[in-house]
Amino acid sequence: MANVKIDCMYEACPIPLLKLARELKKLEQGDVVVVETDHSCAILNITEWAEKEKFDYWIDETNQGEWDIHVRKTRLK
Amino acid sequence: MNSSVQKKQGLIGLLLLLILVYYFLFKEWNIFQSLLFGTLFGFTLQRSRFCFVSCFRDPILFGNTRIANALLLSLAIMTVSFPVIQKIKFDATGVLVGAVYPTGIHTVVGALLFGFGMVIAGACASGTLMRIGEGYLLQILVLGGFVIGALLGAGTFEWWDNHFISQSPVIFLPELFGWVGAVLFQLTFLLFVYLVIKYYSKKRSLKI
Repeated sequence: MANVKIDCMYEACPIPLLKLARELKKLEQGDVVVVETDHSCAILNITEWAEKEKFDYWIDETNQGEWDIHVRKTRLK
Repeated sequence: MNSSVQKKQGLIGLLLLLILVYYFLFKEWNIFQSLLFGTLFGFTLQRSRFCFVSCFRDPILFGNTRIANALLLSLAIMTVSFPVIQKIKFDATGVLVGAVYPTGIHTVVGALLFGFGMVIAGACASGTLMRIGEGYLLQILVLGGFVIGALLGAGTFEWWDNHFISQSPVIFLPELFGWVGAVLFQLTFLLFVYLVIKYYSKKRSLKI
């Protein structure tokens, strides 16, 4: 299973979500994309979308004000 | 993982704020009021993750209408409550409170420029300040652009005023429809905007 990291440091909304969607499109079911961001609003932007699309997601705070947002391309029931 | 460092930073911030509040409480009542309101407003903005850019951008880009609806709801509440304050004040003192200014082509051009700018910058004015406080570095750059723009605007305001603003009509809805009519008109308009966003955003959702 692929695990792709995309660098969205210092990128404001809506870039992180657009990059994530573009990357997820290319991948297979079950693959994970990790968005590295320092933009707290991107978390809401991405998780809201992931919830709507019923994708699995989780967030790690890697540093103060820096997060890894993981989104798995699996439809939750 | 860094919660102890963040707690320390929070305490230092709180201490600085208290010193400022205490200082202005006895010196400048106006600044004290602004500071108090600003703190509460900023706190609400940060905690609620309310983003004015997202209101306008997300329905079009992602088909997400949650925050757009929140803004429409807050406008609806204001539409009903603010005229009450205005009417009471107007009947008592004869002075109209609130920003009633000329509306014209300059409003449209300014709104478009501001709209393009805020989507590129990723924040509006209040959002920029709130995110700088939060520690988001990009917005310091945005603040620089914001200050330059505001200075240019303020410096050339007279020219704009003479050529466009003072020549446009002042539209005050209660003058046209009466107080109740104006409120009903604006509520109907907000409902119309809500329905347009609702149906338009359905076609725009980001699917993969």
